Amino acid sequence: MEPLEHATDIESKRMELRGIVRVAGEVIAQYWPMRTFVHHNPLHSIEYLPFEEAVKRGKQFMGGSGYLPHHLYREYLKAGRIRSTHLDDALKPRVLDKHVLIGPHRVTHGSVIRACLAEGLCAAAMEPLDDQLDDPDKPQIEALARQLERVLHPFSLDDRIRKVVDENRASLCRWLTLSHWCDDTLGTQIVQQINEQMIKWCAAFLDEGHATWVMPGREKGLYEAWKAMASHEWSPCGIKDSGRKIAVLPDYPEDALLQSLDALGIPSELLQDYLSLQLTALPGWAGFIKWRGEERDYPWQQAYPVGLVKFLAIRLWYARELVQQACKDHLGIEGRYEAVMAYMRDYPEEYYLRRQRVAGRLPALYAEEVDRLSHRKGQSWNNILARYRAEVIPRLQAAARRGAARRLLALAHSLGIEPATLTESSPADLKQVVDWMEAFPESDHGPVWLKALEAGYQEQLLGQLRAHMTTAVPAETGRPSSQSVYCIDVRSEPFRRHLESVGPHETYGFAGFFAAFIRYRAWGKEHDTEQFPVIMRAKNEVREIPRSYLDHKVLKHQARAKWVQAGHTLLHDLKENVVTPYVMVESLGWFYGLPIFGKTLVPVLYQRLIAWLRGLFVPSLATTLTIDKLPPAETAEMVEAEQQAVVREALHEQFGLRSSRITPALVEGLRQRALTAEGDPEPPIAAEDIERAGFTPETISTFVDILRRQYELTPRSVSRQRERLTRTGFTLEEQVLTVDTALRMMGLTKNFARLVLFCAHGSTSDNNPYESALDCGACGGNEGKPNARALAMMANNPKVRERIGKLGITIPSDTHFLAGQMDTTTDVVRLFDLEDAPSTHRADIARLQEDLKEASALTSQERCTRFPDIQKMITEPEAEAHVHKRSVDWSQVRPEWGLSNNTSFLIARRELTKGLDLAGRVFLHSYDYREDPSNRLLEVLLTAPQVVAQWINMEHYFSAVDNDVYGSGSKIYHNVVGRLGIMSGPWSDLRLGLARQTVMSGEGAYHEPMRLLTIIEAPRERIDRLIARHDVLQHFYHNEWVHLVALHPEDGVWYRYHPDGTWHAIVIP
Amino acid sequence: MTGLFIQCLFVAIPFAGALVCLACWSDPYRVKMAAIVGSVISLVSTVGIANRLPAPPDGFLPLYLLPIAAVVSALGQPVHQSHRLSWITTMVFLGLGMGALTAGHPWNSLCVITLMLIIMLLLYHHHTTLWPISWWGIGCFGVGVVGAGLSLAAGPPISAVASLATCAVLLPLMPFHDGYLTALTRLPGSLPSFIVLILPVLGLHGLAVAMPAMPNEFVAVVSLLALLSSLYGAVKALAQSRVRLLVGYGSVSFFSILWWFVAGFHTATPRATVLAGAVGLATGGLLVAWQVIRTRYGDDVDPQAISGLSAAMPKYAVLLSLLGLAAMGIPPFGVFAGFMGLLLTAPPSSTIGLFIALTAWLAASWYIMQMVQQLLFGARRADLLYTDLRHPEFNSLLIVVLALLALGLAPTSLYAPDQASNKGAAMVQSLSWNR
Repeated sequence: MEPLEHATDIESKRMELRGIVRVAGEVIAQYWPMRTFVHHNPLHSIEYLPFEEAVKRGKQFMGGSGYLPHHLYREYLKAGRIRSTHLDDALKPRVLDKHVLIGPHRVTHGSVIRACLAEGLCAAAMEPLDDQLDDPDKPQIEALARQLERVLHPFSLDDRIRKVVDENRASLCRWLTLSHWCDDTLGTQIVQQINEQMIKWCAAFLDEGHATWVMPGREKGLYEAWKAMASHEWSPCGIKDSGRKIAVLPDYPEDALLQSLDALGIPSELLQDYLSLQLTALPGWAGFIKWRGEERDYPWQQAYPVGLVKFLAIRLWYARELVQQACKDHLGIEGRYEAVMAYMRDYPEEYYLRRQRVAGRLPALYAEEVDRLSHRKGQSWNNILARYRAEVIPRLQAAARRGAARRLLALAHSLGIEPATLTESSPADLKQVVDWMEAFPESDHGPVWLKALEAGYQEQLLGQLRAHMTTAVPAETGRPSSQSVYCIDVRSEPFRRHLESVGPHETYGFAGFFAAFIRYRAWGKEHDTEQFPVIMRAKNEVREIPRSYLDHKVLKHQARAKWVQAGHTLLHDLKENVVTPYVMVESLGWFYGLPIFGKTLVPVLYQRLIAWLRGLFVPSLATTLTIDKLPPAETAEMVEAEQQAVVREALHEQFGLRSSRITPALVEGLRQRALTAEGDPEPPIAAEDIERAGFTPETISTFVDILRRQYELTPRSVSRQRERLTRTGFTLEEQVLTVDTALRMMGLTKNFARLVLFCAHGSTSDNNPYESALDCGACGGNEGKPNARALAMMANNPKVRERIGKLGITIPSDTHFLAGQMDTTTDVVRLFDLEDAPSTHRADIARLQEDLKEASALTSQERCTRFPDIQKMITEPEAEAHVHKRSVDWSQVRPEWGLSNNTSFLIARRELTKGLDLAGRVFLHSYDYREDPSNRLLEVLLTAPQVVAQWINMEHYFSAVDNDVYGSGSKIYHNVVGRLGIMSGPWSDLRLGLARQTVMSGEGAYHEPMRLLTIIEAPRERIDRLIARHDVLQHFYHNEWVHLVALHPEDGVWYRYHPDGTWHAIVIP
Repeated sequence: MTGLFIQCLFVAIPFAGALVCLACWSDPYRVKMAAIVGSVISLVSTVGIANRLPAPPDGFLPLYLLPIAAVVSALGQPVHQSHRLSWITTMVFLGLGMGALTAGHPWNSLCVITLMLIIMLLLYHHHTTLWPISWWGIGCFGVGVVGAGLSLAAGPPISAVASLATCAVLLPLMPFHDGYLTALTRLPGSLPSFIVLILPVLGLHGLAVAMPAMPNEFVAVVSLLALLSSLYGAVKALAQSRVRLLVGYGSVSFFSILWWFVAGFHTATPRATVLAGAVGLATGGLLVAWQVIRTRYGDDVDPQAISGLSAAMPKYAVLLSLLGLAAMGIPPFGVFAGFMGLLLTAPPSSTIGLFIALTAWLAASWYIMQMVQQLLFGARRADLLYTDLRHPEFNSLLIVVLALLALGLAPTSLYAPDQASNKGAAMVQSLSWNR
């Protein structure tokens, strides 16, 4: 009975630990593989906190700043981008009704803190003990410092020591890991050492086909594979006897983690925080592991399981060993929480000096002395502290006074006060001013700046919208030349505007996956792509197949494609092999000169040449999609055909049989035998077929076994295949539902044009690991072409139209739906499946293509003005050539600006914005509240597209405010690792977020980081109901992650939603 | 008679400069300018008339380098009253140095003794309990003074050995290197960046006289000591966190390599002077560069507290990088030229010795680069006020870089008239080695 209880106890402990790890992992965001880059909020998991609070958490855990560097805000202020009135408004809640008299000047609290913001007076500045740089203000500073000496009470060293010790004792294991504590106190580099080990193991284990030599034993899982490998390493990070220690670790990662936590003595109430801190030490790798752990169907996860518990078990083992070693070597204490706490309590002076030394705050001679004593404890420390107290502290106090005097002088300059007046003022008043400045440190400035910046933009945008409302021409009621639907993506806005300006075209905005939740496999590809937002799930699979009239060309095409593939594989193998590169470099190395020179010197020409060659050798085939579901008989036939192909392949692989010796009857017989359940009579195989293949009955029996084991030809696999095939395509009901939902949500329910274009988007760039970040976010970071084609095919289906007509949407018989895709790098729109268009529509299509081309040129011209390397307005043809060159230039770090500078999400009728230049900064979703009496459509818009827009917005926000922590740094240093992500240089955490070149222009931010402003044209009561129903909306609006403004359709008044749940009418000047 | 006049002139100009400095005592700026002008006049006069003197075995290069180093040191210091004494002392040291290099026996030794006595006095004055090692430094200079005195008073072989001990104090060689290191770390103002050139140059000058008379057994011991010293210097430099000590130990390592070459050669050639001068100048340049930091962030600043200067102080970053490259012996600067010159003209006496010397040389690229990287790169600290080089500082560092470049590119014959005979000797030795 006892062992059973013991086992239950262990299992419950493991379960409890798994729960703690899951919660601890909330502070890190998932990291999607780069091939399906998903914009997301890096602080998404803590959106339940107010924005400012979450930003502070981000700072504490990851060290990331939540606001732009303040000098950039000050530049905005100087440039008029932030207006003084908005800054004053943002400051208002912090202003006290107090003032002092400096000479004849009445200096208010408000003016002081405003000067602090505008002039950066409160920036923390290290005041040197004895600098000798020429400074004309020095005499005044010295005089002021002398004056302040009477009122500024000198700080006490004992108080400082106590404060440091108390703060660190309080934060140990909450904000500070023991490894970090050792680094900060003893000057070790434990965190870096552990990170290097973890990066090494994670990169090896999580590799997705990039590595030439893969890590062995991965199928057992991260912890087990690490255990097997690391025990053979010789003293990693200087850990003594590491091999034996690793070998005796428990088999279960949970047990190993518990053991390490126990060894470190982490109190149970701090476990979650402690583990969070460990995860945030490498948020990239930990984020990817978190994502993998949650994606159980992900093939790599199925093959090589990994999870945060395993990750932490390894990390904590290193931490425990290194902390133990460092504490024993330097301090002679156990590397445990309670021992470290006791050390801080019992030796506060020594602890203080050590920390000051490591932080570089001790004068050099004292630093040297501390280094000399670093392995000792006792009296010597008191001696050095006594000298420090006597010699350095008075100088530090004098420096503090000089610092205060310098600030006062700067304030006087800023307020236009004569500096001499300061020295004539009362010291008490001066102290009061110093206190005000100190009470408003720079760490408090960020929220104020952000609000002022947002207020300026919002005022301008809302003013623009309001002015447009009053001057807008009523919507035309005639039949438009075409209607086209674009993704809500901000890049669609300029294109739509230009298209509408060149002809009688109507445009609509809709999430780029067009309500088609599909898993898609392109022709000739081996992997599916998930063509829907990551917060959704797919129901249907769609495959691209050659059109039936091209059957005779398919085999030839496949054969040539195989040759190309084989060539690629051969070259890859030759490059990656141990021996062959030596020969290959000599013999074929020069051949690579052609692409190098071509791509570098004449990228456009080279790209054309390659495209021509590709077309010559493997010409593209016209394709269609498997939209309709297969009938059961056809499904069975397909399964049979696939299995027969497997049998043929197996015969060829196992026996080297040529096809002439393999008869169809033999293949079918073998297939049926493999599928026969045990005990059932075996289907016969004709003797002549067996003889022709040269088999014996024993061989047949063995081969059938092989088919079952190696080739998974079993009844169960048949069932799986059938199930997969039945997921392919849509039933008629599903098609009707999809088309009906899409048309209603985009507000396209009447007055259909002869042509309706569903225009997806994708992008083109070279040498860009982040290329999927430029594709459609609503399509899971893929091109939206399949979705557009799927929806157009469904909408063109007469049976679907008939059923939709019964639902109230009458589509005229002469309306044809087209699919297209806009390349956001070149602005070129390509139309697909034109051969399905009726001949009666050729002229319409030609006219549409012309207008699209014109709109494309205008869009390119507009976009070119935003590139920093283009200083003047260029002509349309120049702009087209320029953007095309950017798309094929492999040295281009910024093929396009992508979604940078996005600010707002507008859910309204197009009439509200038609003709307005929104500068490509607004997500536009068409929505007509009159078509949505049930509020269902708005609910979907707020809980799906708005969420995606907020993720995009926050990704850009955080990448811009602190690109080193939340972004991925400069593209120049990017290296692809494991085909899943990016490292900076050869060795780093997986880089989160967007590259520096995506959001920054030079030293300044191209993307002006602001929180999303959602503008809805709908009655407020409806919005209130939705907010009350959905937590995600409450988090957005009440915690100030998103600003919400509503245009009441009836009274035409704009209202702002406040975090307390109230609406206030906006006064727009 | 002309020779005596020139010698007196070389000594008199700096001393006159020192007197002018004293006269301007109340105005630090004028004191500094007087020191710079005095050094420039000294340089001009040296360039103009030095060739009228008989060529010393180590060439005229030291005579040119001393005023340059004095200019650089004075320029690199900020105008501050606390530096007045150091500028005057620099001029005095320059005069004594010129005297030691040009005057005949026994005046040259007396100049060296005076120089060391002044340094001892200054070290005593600036002694602190936090730096107990300065007693060792003072003691080392005491050994140097005694050695120089003995070399005057005693006959051979005692005088030769005593002279060698003095040389080991001036051109630092373990275990006599503490004097050099203490002077480099404890002397005030512009003196350290001048000391790192004048002491080695004077030591090498003495060595050029003393070494040919040394018995072979003694030279073998010196060679061994030199190799150990070069490794010791490199290892100690690797372990330092303070810039001045790092630079000091690094230069000890390089000077020890020079000792090894000189011991192998049995004399100090002009090429050895190139190496000594280049190492001294590069070390002085690095100290001026560090002085730039101290000017901004205080004398006692911990280098670990400084980072991210590359973006904020671009002029400083470029010049410091160049100096770093020069100091670690990268072409086309003087350290590389001096090292390769010695290596190619004198076949190494032992392969193991060469390997050790090369190891010590290579180690420099680790510790010097690490220091430069730490200062220039890393996170830019928001609380640091960054101010790029002021004109005098810029000029000072630029002069060092240009001088090092000139030392690397100029032919040795420019400052060593008997270069042709050396070349011939080297060729003979090279041929015999080839056989």
